[in-house]
Amino acid sequence: MVITLAPSGAVVIGWPQLALAASFIVVTGALSVAIGLGIVKDLVIASARTYLQLLALGFVLRWVFEVRLWWIVILLLGIMTIMATRIVVKRAPDAPRGLFGSAFFSMAVTGITVTFAVTALIVRVPVWYEPRYVIPIAGMVLGNSMTGIALALERLFSDLDSRSGEILTLTALGADRWEAARGSVRMALRAGLIPTINSMAAAGIVFIPGMMTGQVLAGADPLEATKYQIVVMLMVSAATAIGSILSVMLAYRRAFTADGVFLDKGLRASAS
Amino acid sequence: MVVAPPLLSAIGLVALRAVDGRELRVLDGVSFELHAGDIAELRGPSGAGKTTLLLALARLLPGASGELALAGASASGIEPAEWRTKVALLPQRTALTGGTVEENLLLPFGLKARTGATPPSVDELRAALDEVGLADVALDRDTARLSVGQAARVALLRVLLTAPRVLLLDEPDASLDDASAAAVGTMTARFAAEGGAVLRVSHLRADAAANVRLHLEGGHLSGGDHVGA
Repeated sequence: MVITLAPSGAVVIGWPQLALAASFIVVTGALSVAIGLGIVKDLVIASARTYLQLLALGFVLRWVFEVRLWWIVILLLGIMTIMATRIVVKRAPDAPRGLFGSAFFSMAVTGITVTFAVTALIVRVPVWYEPRYVIPIAGMVLGNSMTGIALALERLFSDLDSRSGEILTLTALGADRWEAARGSVRMALRAGLIPTINSMAAAGIVFIPGMMTGQVLAGADPLEATKYQIVVMLMVSAATAIGSILSVMLAYRRAFTADGVFLDKGLRASAS
Repeated sequence: MVVAPPLLSAIGLVALRAVDGRELRVLDGVSFELHAGDIAELRGPSGAGKTTLLLALARLLPGASGELALAGASASGIEPAEWRTKVALLPQRTALTGGTVEENLLLPFGLKARTGATPPSVDELRAALDEVGLADVALDRDTARLSVGQAARVALLRVLLTAPRVLLLDEPDASLDDASAAAVGTMTARFAAEGGAVLRVSHLRADAAANVRLHLEGGHLSGGDHVGA
């Protein structure tokens, strides 16, 4: 059996081996049929998407890393931000319409500041748009802040709705929008940040974080990989915090009229 | 002789509500006046829009139209939050926030709309609780440990301590025993006697102290004559 090594020392996965990995799905599918889970179709589609999307990504990134053009990097970051915003908006069904703009703004501000702060100040890439660094880092920043923002927005509107009686009382006592919504804003930000804080606390004890795993498999020295991983975890927590706070602060007002009256779920849907 | 303007006046209030795809005029040109000292009792069938009317008067109803004035001053010249500090609504569902009785009573004074207002002292709070039959409730009692009747009185007291001009009460005694309901009646009567005006939605009990009887049905308000005046 021939084992191919990459220049870095990593073992290369051949195409036949990649195809062989599909047998994992056959096992899962067989189990699903046996137990009657009714998810075989979803499983097959999801697996096919995994192959197609990731292979496409591989080819695109290989090309982007080769051509090294600043505007292609910016264009890709823009597309990533739009896709992440769409997912955020979809995951907060109780949110008022028109949330896309403020969610996009939050994602873009977070993505740009955190990504370029890391590449310029910590990794210190020689060229500011170096795609090999900018794109994966932006991907982690956007992906994690997306999760945080989605959780925070979902919690914001569900908590506001569950507190509608209290909000009416507060507003009747003269509270403005912020004073009435404050309790829910706090709950929403906690909901957005807790998963990140938990994963930081568990990193290295419960699991080897994904990026470090990748670097080690690719032949990097574990200690060097650790340094990167620490930077990434702190970066992700900053991104999640900035993204959640921005998006929640921009969004909570939308649950109120200009006169400071809370719009419940039904009214929010018909008002916009 | 100069006649004082009514404390609260409403002209042509209209409120629409979408029901099963049709627009329903819950309030269809409602007009009335409340004068200092009035206790008006609002009755009407369930779903007639009594709560809607209170919300509109407190400027808490999005999309409501019509004219409101407080002591002759048009609502259009008064910020909504400031209006609500003067025309105070107590919603039907008592919503005390978590924390102690004291924290709840002082909550309105922490709001921006009351910047500059002096909050009552601990002694004043204690005296106020004693007056409404809550002598056995300590200021540091957690609101979760109040009975329904006690919570209703604390919520009403919280509004009264802010010294509004007009009090809008949505079935304030709906879930209260007779003793608590009587205490609520005494509190509102005193507020009116001191120059305030009260509009209360009644369902179960009639308020013996009421001097105005209003009836809301089909979007129209009837009554409004002063009883025994």
